Amino acid sequence: MTPVDLQELTAMALEEIARADSLDRLDEVRLRYLGRRDGLVTLAGQRLRELGPEQRAVFGQEFNRASGQLRSALETRQRELAAGEAERREDAEWVDMSHPFREADQGHAHPVTGLIREIEDIFAFLGYQSVGGPELEDDQHNFQLLNMPPEHPARDAHDTFYLSPPAGGWLYRTHTSPVQMRAMLGSPPPLRIIVPGKVARRDNPDPTHTPVFHQVEGLCIDHGVTLGDLKGTLEYAIRALFGRDRRVRLRASFFPYTEPSLEADVACAVCQGAGCRTCLQKGWIEILGSGMVHPQVLRNGGVDPGTYSGFAFGMGPDRIAVLRYGLTDLRDLYENDLRLLECF
Amino acid sequence: MRVSHEWLGEMVDLEGVEPAQVADLLTLSGTEVEKVTPFGVGLDQVVVGEVVGLRRVEGSDHLFLAHVAIPGLEPREVICGADNLFVGALVPWARPGTHLPIGVEIGRKRLRGIWSEGMLCAPDELGLGSDHDGVLILSPEDAEVGMPLARLYPADHLYELEVLSNRADCLSHWGVARELSALLSRPLRDPEASRPAPSSAAPAVQVTVASSADCPVYLAEVLTGFSNAPAPAFVRRRLTAIGQRSLGGIVDLANYVMFEVGQPLHTFDLDRLPAPGDELAVGVRRGRTGESLTCLDGVTRELDPETLVVTVGDAPQAVAGLIGGEASAVGGDTSQVLLEAANFNWARLRSTSRRLRLRTEASGRFERQLSPHLARRGADRFVHLAVRHLGARLGPGAEGGAPLAPAEAIRCDPVRISSILGMELGPEAVASPLRRLQFEVWPGDGEMLATPSPYRTDVTTEVDLAEEVGRIIGYREVPGTLPAIRQPPPLEALAEPVARLTSAACRAAGFSEAMSLSLVSGERERLAPRLVGDLAHLELANPLSMQLGSLRQGLLQGLLQSAHHNQARGQDSVRLFEQGAAFWARGQERPEEPWMLAVLDLADGSAEDGATRLRRIMALIASLSSVGGGGAVEFRPVAWPALHRARAAEVWAGAERRGIVGEVAQPVTDAFDVRGRVEVAELRLDGWLKPGGRQGHAPPLPRTPALVLDLSVTVPSRALLGPALQAVAALGLPELERVTPIDEYLGDQLGTGVKGWTLRLRLRHPERTLTAAEGDRARQAVLRALELEVGAKPR
Ligand SMILES: [Zn+2]
Repeated sequence: MTPVDLQELTAMALEEIARADSLDRLDEVRLRYLGRRDGLVTLAGQRLRELGPEQRAVFGQEFNRASGQLRSALETRQRELAAGEAERREDAEWVDMSHPFREADQGHAHPVTGLIREIEDIFAFLGYQSVGGPELEDDQHNFQLLNMPPEHPARDAHDTFYLSPPAGGWLYRTHTSPVQMRAMLGSPPPLRIIVPGKVARRDNPDPTHTPVFHQVEGLCIDHGVTLGDLKGTLEYAIRALFGRDRRVRLRASFFPYTEPSLEADVACAVCQGAGCRTCLQKGWIEILGSGMVHPQVLRNGGVDPGTYSGFAFGMGPDRIAVLRYGLTDLRDLYENDLRLLECF
Repeated sequence: MRVSHEWLGEMVDLEGVEPAQVADLLTLSGTEVEKVTPFGVGLDQVVVGEVVGLRRVEGSDHLFLAHVAIPGLEPREVICGADNLFVGALVPWARPGTHLPIGVEIGRKRLRGIWSEGMLCAPDELGLGSDHDGVLILSPEDAEVGMPLARLYPADHLYELEVLSNRADCLSHWGVARELSALLSRPLRDPEASRPAPSSAAPAVQVTVASSADCPVYLAEVLTGFSNAPAPAFVRRRLTAIGQRSLGGIVDLANYVMFEVGQPLHTFDLDRLPAPGDELAVGVRRGRTGESLTCLDGVTRELDPETLVVTVGDAPQAVAGLIGGEASAVGGDTSQVLLEAANFNWARLRSTSRRLRLRTEASGRFERQLSPHLARRGADRFVHLAVRHLGARLGPGAEGGAPLAPAEAIRCDPVRISSILGMELGPEAVASPLRRLQFEVWPGDGEMLATPSPYRTDVTTEVDLAEEVGRIIGYREVPGTLPAIRQPPPLEALAEPVARLTSAACRAAGFSEAMSLSLVSGERERLAPRLVGDLAHLELANPLSMQLGSLRQGLLQGLLQSAHHNQARGQDSVRLFEQGAAFWARGQERPEEPWMLAVLDLADGSAEDGATRLRRIMALIASLSSVGGGGAVEFRPVAWPALHRARAAEVWAGAERRGIVGEVAQPVTDAFDVRGRVEVAELRLDGWLKPGGRQGHAPPLPRTPALVLDLSVTVPSRALLGPALQAVAALGLPELERVTPIDEYLGDQLGTGVKGWTLRLRLRHPERTLTAAEGDRARQAVLRALELEVGAKPR
């Protein structure tokens, strides 16, 4: 073995390293030349011992250089091959990353529940607790305690579903107001509650009526509550629901259980107040009835009107949903068409 | 109700007040104006023409050729389709070049070879109401040939009012004028009502009211000497404007007074009443069984002791406040009348009107508690107009009922009024709006006294006064404030409600929220799977239809219907949930209202089979119970009506059955017209899930390594995993941390009638590493338990 032989051997090895096309092949090359026991270069190195001191120095240097060169070539090639192999593996694991997704496979809340949540949250900021009450009521709670004795003309607006015997003493509540009475009779003031729930009136289904629908009732009773407080509260809530710049107006009205009574309108979003079909040419859309709780109703609820005063309001989330989401038919809210539900 | 701007203007000065402003003032103060329509606006170009010749257009069966003349002009030919023309008729003539108020320009038109010089107009073409029955025929008393129509129909605007149910006083021009007078701070001019001295030539009247509770006041007047003259032009024009037909002088006048001052009047033809000439014995009493009356509309109505009737000589002549009798009706030849101006009990009229299914302008007013004080006003106004315009003479009248109580004074403290309204108002600021509403106010030391106008029946207490003050000042003026929070809501209010927890869990599992009516067809719901089992439905006494005749007992009927709806619209995968109350009968007791959840999963032609989707629902139920603080659930296979016989289970949590889950049986999906397999569950949430949900608790977390072993066994093919795992749990092995079923193998290699299970056991000792031998012992113990419970054999 001469340095020349070693050079040839190195050149051959380098060529084989370059030709190795997989990590396995490369390992074979490494073993053939640098294998610990019988690698060709390793064996050449063992022959150093057979040489004289001078030649040994020359050859030793040559040997170190050659084996160093081979190791670094092996390392480089190994990196190259490893990278290539990862590429090939990943190529084989191809996924169509252009796949269009609309949205995660999650369910959707009903628009009316969504609105009720929103209303609850707005009033939670103002210190109101959301409570429920029975949907089947007696005449006492639904009407009489609310200043509507039998034959009262205001009952005309509450076309009521009555149950058949033997449950003939019950009716489907026509508004959420009976829960006001239950709340007053249940705990002393101060009271701040919001009552979402289903109610029913005997209206034939049409684009603006469903026989069952939702209401959200609110009640606030404390010392010195004023109509100004009612106004401030409604304005805050209505702007929160309909937008900061939406115009709101309060107009005098009549409900047997409030005095004074008010209705709240918002400017029609379609025509901005000019009058259109949506608002029946009025420019305004009625969204809420309210008023100061009638002293007699307070008394009926066991609250002394000399000490406390309060206000109450009621709104229809179904109608608000129609206005806010541009629905054209109230009945669509109860068809559960997924094309609609998926938008909320 | 419709009111006329021009008519209102007679009672309150509306100079310079635009109709839009009137509408706004009325609306904000409670009398909502739904519509404002111009009436008779822009009629100055239309002239009154006289038809001087008339013939059919040759070759046409419906066209006429009229020769129309005005002074100083040769008669012109006008073609007209209406068949109510006659020679001598005075008609509105729109000549070529005229712009009609409805937005049409009239031209010269050639029809059937004849040039038509403009058009003879029907009321609707002139913006005078909706009548299109024929050309408007003008009365020679009012109209003069050649004059502009605008002189007959001065420009007016009509307001369509929605009067509040407690405001009977606003059902008249006078009442609305009272409101405007207060709102505009302009004086109110009451309609003129002077009474001449009665002549004694007329027959005497006597009134007997059986009960003043039924009839607080009954005024009878006798008027004689009517000729067959029409009512004056302004009366007819105003009635036309508000949509009333002209029915002859006397009836028109009575109607006019009702719409003007609000008091319903009735006129009887004196000569058609029993015993004319003698003293008229007028009575108001209850009807008697067996009595009947043929009314003005030709219908004979049975009377009864619940019905109030007006009698003359004890014979019924009218259903009080509702409708008069045919026999005594005023006609074209009537020369003397008995005028009734009365007030009848609102509740009685309401029930009579409902029983007879009849509602009239009069009864609608009485039902809203019309003030009895109005009767005198109405009578006097009619007398005034009849004497002045129809040449009538007044005879001696009579009164019945009890003396009317004057309106009561109400204590009125400006401080309290201020604190109700939330604005600082001094005594004058409170008194002024009340005075403008014709209330009498007596200032006092701090507190004042206020007596409402006698025509207002809705103001009886101090809060009523507060409302009057507030709405006349305008709620715009009230500053918006927020009430101080003196006490925060109870702490329970902070817990997340069960409905929200549930909705979040269902949505996370891919279910969308449905909402159904609580009314169902009981018959149809009985087809659907129901947790309630066998219970009679709560039925409505007065349903809209059989389809909505019963209260729902569960929610699956609604979801099945929605599944059908969606499938019919091409939706192949439907995943819905609904929460809400159901209604369970308890005899006479208050019905139970369980809070229910139902879920439905339908996928027609999907890669996922029914069993996979069923398991997703079961996983949802388990996680719902867990997040809702309802503890671990157990599914117990069961045979359940309307569910697949081999795919149904009860859901148990603790010692209670909480729901059912399974696949809907095919006959049921067929009945609901749904294709494919439908997986459902129905659960009762109240009493199970808790607001706030799961209260977490940290377990010990030992650092020692886990020993994980898989155990494969064969078991009979219908072996139940639930009881098997319970048996393993019952071993109570201290190191056995968790058992997870990781595979169920149903292939043929194991032989028939068996299947394979692989369970993964995770073992751990809190202080040291477990040995292989300990692991093996545990595995053997588990195997034995499985062998005993389900006959498992190692595989
Ligand atoms: Zn609009």
